Amino acid sequence: MANYNKITPEIAEQLKAVVGERRFAAGEEVDPNYSHDEMPIYGSYYPEVTVDVESTEEVSKIMKICNDNKIPVTCRGAGTGLVGGCVPLAGGVVLCTKRMNKILHYDMDNLVVRIQPGVLLKDLAADALTHGLMYPPDPGEKTATVGGNISTNAGGMRAVKYGVTRDYVLALTVVLADGRIIELGKTVCKTSSGYSLLHLMVGSEGTLGIITEMTMKLIPNPVCDVSCLVPFPDVDSCIKFVPHIKLANLDPQSIEFMDADIVTSSSAFTGIPTFPERVKDADVGASLLVTFVGADEDELDQKLIKLGKIAEEAGALDVLVVATSSNKKAAWAARSSFLTAIEADTKLLDEMDVVVPVDKIPAFLIYIRSLGDEVGLTIRNFGHAGDGNLHIYCCSNDLELDEFKRRTKIVMDKAYAKCTELEGQVSGEHAIGHAKMEYLRESVGDDVFGLMGEIKRVFDPNYILNPGKVCDASLRQ
Amino acid sequence: MLKILVCVKQIPDVDLVKMDPETGNLVRAGVPTLTNPLDLNALEAAVQTKEKYGGEVTLITMGPPMAESTLRECLAVGGDDAILISGRPFGGADTLSTSYSIVKASEMKGKFDLIFCGKESLDGATGQMASQLAERFDASQISCCYSIENVADGKIRAVRALEDGKETVEATLPCLITVEKDNFYGRLPNLEAYLGSKKAEITTYTENDIDGLDLNKIGVPGSGTIVPKIYPPELPEPGQIINTGSAKSDAQRLVELLAEKGSI
Amino acid sequence: MMQKSDYKNMWVYIEHDGKTAAPVGLELCCELRKLCDTTGDKLYAVIIGDLPHEEVDKVRECAVDGIIYVSGTGYDYFNTDAYANAFTVLSRKYNPSAIFVGGTINGRDFAPRFAVQLDTGCTSDAMELEYDPETGDIQFIEPAVGGKIMAVITVPELRPQVGTIRPGTFKYAPAGRKAEIEVICEEINFDPEAIRCKHIDFVPDDLDPELDIANADCIVCVGNGLKDSEHLERYRELAKLLGGKIGCTRPLFDRGILPYKLQIGQSGVMVKTKLYISFGVSGAVNHTAGVDADVFVAVDKNPDAQIFNYCDYGIVGDMDTVCDELIELLKARQK
Repeated sequence: MANYNKITPEIAEQLKAVVGERRFAAGEEVDPNYSHDEMPIYGSYYPEVTVDVESTEEVSKIMKICNDNKIPVTCRGAGTGLVGGCVPLAGGVVLCTKRMNKILHYDMDNLVVRIQPGVLLKDLAADALTHGLMYPPDPGEKTATVGGNISTNAGGMRAVKYGVTRDYVLALTVVLADGRIIELGKTVCKTSSGYSLLHLMVGSEGTLGIITEMTMKLIPNPVCDVSCLVPFPDVDSCIKFVPHIKLANLDPQSIEFMDADIVTSSSAFTGIPTFPERVKDADVGASLLVTFVGADEDELDQKLIKLGKIAEEAGALDVLVVATSSNKKAAWAARSSFLTAIEADTKLLDEMDVVVPVDKIPAFLIYIRSLGDEVGLTIRNFGHAGDGNLHIYCCSNDLELDEFKRRTKIVMDKAYAKCTELEGQVSGEHAIGHAKMEYLRESVGDDVFGLMGEIKRVFDPNYILNPGKVCDASLRQ
Repeated sequence: MLKILVCVKQIPDVDLVKMDPETGNLVRAGVPTLTNPLDLNALEAAVQTKEKYGGEVTLITMGPPMAESTLRECLAVGGDDAILISGRPFGGADTLSTSYSIVKASEMKGKFDLIFCGKESLDGATGQMASQLAERFDASQISCCYSIENVADGKIRAVRALEDGKETVEATLPCLITVEKDNFYGRLPNLEAYLGSKKAEITTYTENDIDGLDLNKIGVPGSGTIVPKIYPPELPEPGQIINTGSAKSDAQRLVELLAEKGSI
Repeated sequence: MMQKSDYKNMWVYIEHDGKTAAPVGLELCCELRKLCDTTGDKLYAVIIGDLPHEEVDKVRECAVDGIIYVSGTGYDYFNTDAYANAFTVLSRKYNPSAIFVGGTINGRDFAPRFAVQLDTGCTSDAMELEYDPETGDIQFIEPAVGGKIMAVITVPELRPQVGTIRPGTFKYAPAGRKAEIEVICEEINFDPEAIRCKHIDFVPDDLDPELDIANADCIVCVGNGLKDSEHLERYRELAKLLGGKIGCTRPLFDRGILPYKLQIGQSGVMVKTKLYISFGVSGAVNHTAGVDADVFVAVDKNPDAQIFNYCDYGIVGDMDTVCDELIELLKARQK
């Protein structure tokens, strides 16, 4: 285990000198928000010092000071993570990139944009639109920073058609643990030039370096879009339909899955019954929300007609069209309310974001439900059916915290084992943080987990970058 | 079989309408349009009524040719027939003349038993159209309808949502109804209806097509009100902006100020 | 053929439930008194059905020149047919220049209807009334297009000029009883059998004190800046700490986040409060017209938001963050 040093008044002064008084806080002055992300159930840990950086040079100076003095540094964006990834387990410095929120410039010939890591996802998306461009990755949390999205390789709903954040990172400026500044990647569409450290950096959760600038790929904004809701009598028939959509060459932008439970709580929560609970006198067991984009309405109509045909053959109750701006707004507002609807009627909550092969979704869902019944926890779920990524929530309103944690652990242990058995992965898009490390180890095995540790050591020999995360088990008792 | 009429309106997205500071005119060019949301609640009430008691739903709107898209949107969720009243002479109408035009045009399709309207439009927001239509249809009226209990024997029984409670009323047909959204959230169209609506025939009436239309009663000449002037709202001088550098100290300063004022 | 100038005097309909007069009628009398003093018209209150003496006294205190009492059949419960008819009959007989009706649910239900019967122009929701001596027309001034503009509306040729005005738009400030008040009694019978929409039953809503915000001491008002319902809880907490209640602007009602009864503004509740704090409210006229606050505080991330023109104190910043800070500070103060 690395032996970290405490921040002495002298070191604190050096750090303060880098960013100035107003962007520095220590001790009592530290904003409590910097001690947790959006999953406080994984514990709150306070840093000794926080610095709100504004430039690559500042980050470089901070890292040099901390590396020389063996001070842990945890990088943080908007703090919207769900696995404790930005929580400073070993104290030290929290380095926040929120103020590095400038969109630097567009290169319209190569369709890329250069930005700072603290730019919020929603701001990048909106700004790109004003240039007629689209930033395809679309994770649900729009107030996350793009830097955070890269560090977790965030996915989102449009992954079915466009892929994930990784696919849109062309180049990064990174500050290494010792303060050196390196450039990874270039504005090119192909590369076959040695090990891709760029892609090693994507999804590394601040354990290998600090990303301070990035070049992101954009695409021309699709002119038209239409969504449709395809209700089925049960989960099984609903999920079985997913591959048919792809095989029919319909190229959907997203395929979202929702079961009757989540639709009911969303309606109750928002007071607006956007998604029907009954269709043609039959109860809806589960539905898919499928979105298509295209150049014009005719193209979309053709896709809809084809979808209608295969949906009928697959036993769908109906196909409902979300075409008007009001209906689109309502549908996506309802879809976005799922997590909040769960949180609203749940006191204690823990989550999993496993990804399994699409055809294994029903098997996994059935298994996890039976697990919930077995240990006495309510299981709620929704997710990206198109890519097998499922958001699963263990919920309770009446259990004591300790008992809840005990039961959740049983569910998680078995569920992750099942996930591995079904050839799935621990996390689809929320990453590992410190919450999912053991499950990662079990899932990938000791050899792979060990290799990850070796790589970490090469980048960060003093283990000061985001200690205790991903593959660094040194803080575990 | 009930003959049901639903009055709908295409409106600009009011959030995006701006006023030209030079000319003082409203800039509507390029502003996306939508179907007045409250009209969709009226349509849903009409469709529910049709489904329960049998009938046929006719849609009617007045506006430029592009208003057709609103009719198609409504045809997709349960409308059977649609009328568009369009033509320059209808322009600039207030509710007095619009209600006249709508009633005259609808008479081309016979007499209606039930007429559903949104409570108001989000752009004009006068909320007068429904009552004025009811008068011109010589119909009874039920405003702020919360739920429909029964339609039978030439009567409709419904519940109104008043300021302080619910009033049950019974009205003779023809009856005009404006609806509250609570029980009448719009539905999504199914694929068949959606595709069908794109090809559906829409009856378009110009001022020359409507029997017995008095041209003095439509458009500007038929209006009782005019808008001689619009101007940006006069704003008071801004208040004291607290800017101490951080949210924490701003909040601190505000609490001090409020405490000094005795507000807290 | 009658000329515009042949129509004289202005009327205010006094809506009541047989026990008390609704405030809006009295507010209108107070405001119209001022207008009539400018135009030289007389101000008449129109009372349909029985109203206790002490309530009529309140009307008299508003300096009306006369009261028109309407009696007869058909008025036991509000119904569009009999009430619209009464005004049509009265107006044809007396030819008033203007008729004002409170913009309550029932007022808005029948006023536009008798305007059609009289074939005249009708306006709704004016916030100011001015008189143009050149044309002899009333200028009804009201916000339009979601509060982005103010529109002047007139009835240039037809009479009477009919207007519905929202409750709370004008102040109740009675100018005192006139020495002489003309009394006109009219019997206008409407055959109860001919009422096409009949009252069957009325069930009052359960009174939820949280939904009664018109006179709350403190109001925390949340606007369209709110991300979603999840973020609402902190504002409830702040309201609780301040001993106040939570309110909202129209978009939050439209988004289904809060009920209509909490919608503050011209088309919702008009509030009178000691302390009003808005979060994420842009400041459209329709909303601010509904706020009468001793101290007005605005928090919004847009430094150019119109709301800062209405506030005493403003903070430019993230609404959730500022709210959280205020909660902390208030908690600390209460310890």
